[in-house]
Amino acid sequence: MVAVLVRTALRGLQSSAVTSVAAAGTIAIALVLVGAFALIAGNMQGLLQRFGEELQVVAYLESDIDAAAAQQMVERVATVEGVQEVEWVSPERALERLRESLGGGGLLEGLEENPLPASLEITLAPSHRTPEGIAILVEAVDGLPGVDELAHGQDWVEGYSRVLVLVRSAAVGLGGVLALAALLIVANTIRLAVYAREDELAILSLVGASRTFVRVPFLLEGTLQGAVGGLVALGLLYAAFIMLVPEVQYGLELFLGSQQPRFFAVGEAAWLVAAGAGLGMCGSGAAMLGWRA
Amino acid sequence: MRGSGRRATHAGGESPIRLYHVSKSYLAGSFALHDVSLEIRKGEFVFLTGPSGAGKTTLLKLLFAAERPSEGQILVRGRNVGRLRESAVPALRRRIGVVFQDFKLLPRRTVEENVRVALDVTGTPPREARAKVFQMLKQVGLQHRRFHHPLSLSGGEQQRVALARALVNEPEILLADEPTGNLDPELTLEIMDLVVGASTRGTTVIVATHDMGLVERYGKRTIRLEGGRMGEDLQ
Repeated sequence: MVAVLVRTALRGLQSSAVTSVAAAGTIAIALVLVGAFALIAGNMQGLLQRFGEELQVVAYLESDIDAAAAQQMVERVATVEGVQEVEWVSPERALERLRESLGGGGLLEGLEENPLPASLEITLAPSHRTPEGIAILVEAVDGLPGVDELAHGQDWVEGYSRVLVLVRSAAVGLGGVLALAALLIVANTIRLAVYAREDELAILSLVGASRTFVRVPFLLEGTLQGAVGGLVALGLLYAAFIMLVPEVQYGLELFLGSQQPRFFAVGEAAWLVAAGAGLGMCGSGAAMLGWRA
Repeated sequence: MRGSGRRATHAGGESPIRLYHVSKSYLAGSFALHDVSLEIRKGEFVFLTGPSGAGKTTLLKLLFAAERPSEGQILVRGRNVGRLRESAVPALRRRIGVVFQDFKLLPRRTVEENVRVALDVTGTPPREARAKVFQMLKQVGLQHRRFHHPLSLSGGEQQRVALARALVNEPEILLADEPTGNLDPELTLEIMDLVVGASTRGTTVIVATHDMGLVERYGKRTIRLEGGRMGEDLQ
């Protein structure tokens, strides 16, 4: 019986080649939209994650703190809730960094003494990169003996958190709307295929075919069309990625910094194809709803 | 036990088709069939006659559950067709062969595949199905055309394919709605001989036709419908 159902499905694909191509094409276009959005959202998420990793609270130390005292402070700050890493930056190291960032020492040559203070660079754990996490750290570190000033960029963190929530919500919301739109379009396309083969379905029903016998081949056809649509979408997205990324490299560098734009990993690509297959199957199911011989 | 009881009733009753005061209305106040009662015995051959619009097709549709009666009871093989659940309809149709004037064949499938579809839906193993289809096509004289497509066949041949599909499951009942309506006189007799042959092998046959010449030629029981009502019932 399974062989008969599969054979019927394959024959159905063959006999309604134009509608099958239209259905697979519709699924491919829908998935290109969803996939492109997922790529953009994924890369933005990666960017925000990297910003988060660079997010630091800097405690500038008073000038009379020596290395040993600074080390004690490092150990103490490391015990504060949410702290992932604490690094002591000596005045010499700070000056060296400044020189590197200025691209040479020309501007700094006239300096008689190092004006830069020592500092503690405190990195928060990802779960604490929130305004609340910063507040806990500020309360614990501000006023510690030896701490002169605290630079914590609270506003920046709040902005970062807001953007992160926005991107995640938009990814879920827009992705959902696109998937729903795709499902409706696919269901309508497949419904056309059902209408085109209404005579065949009526004859099957006439000779005593069960609902399963009539519907399963359509579900299989829809699943196969969806999988093909998913593969086509993946190919189109990859081609667009390869062709467009070098064209907009400069803009991307401004936006992404040193981070390279990335395409889907193998697992994510498989999900896209599986989503196509699922979309095709659900579309077929929806198209068959209400059909009666 | 209930199942065997039903079989006993059916076998003992010897009337696989019974209608009690059956009416069918598509529009309020107008009846396609009105208060029709009849009984057809096992293996009987019945002509259903009457002018166009008399209700012949409606009556056949009620028998294979393509329509439900508006009033009355229809018993087919002991089952009340009017109350049959949707999921039970396929099982009923596997025991009823149906032939139409316009053949209703699948144009993209070969003759063999068209006949075989009736066995596929019952889950018949492929080897057995192939053998049965070959035997059936041989019976209707089309074994040599089994790999042809319906549109390459003559009208008579197409109707023989439709008949083979209707009979390949060895149904208890064969319903034929104007089966010779599209055929010339010679092909008409060819098809009718095959239908009568099925009847002599024990299949209960109802042929709807308005061709009175055909009715007279075969001299079988004839039920006349007029305006949806029962007319003469000539045994």
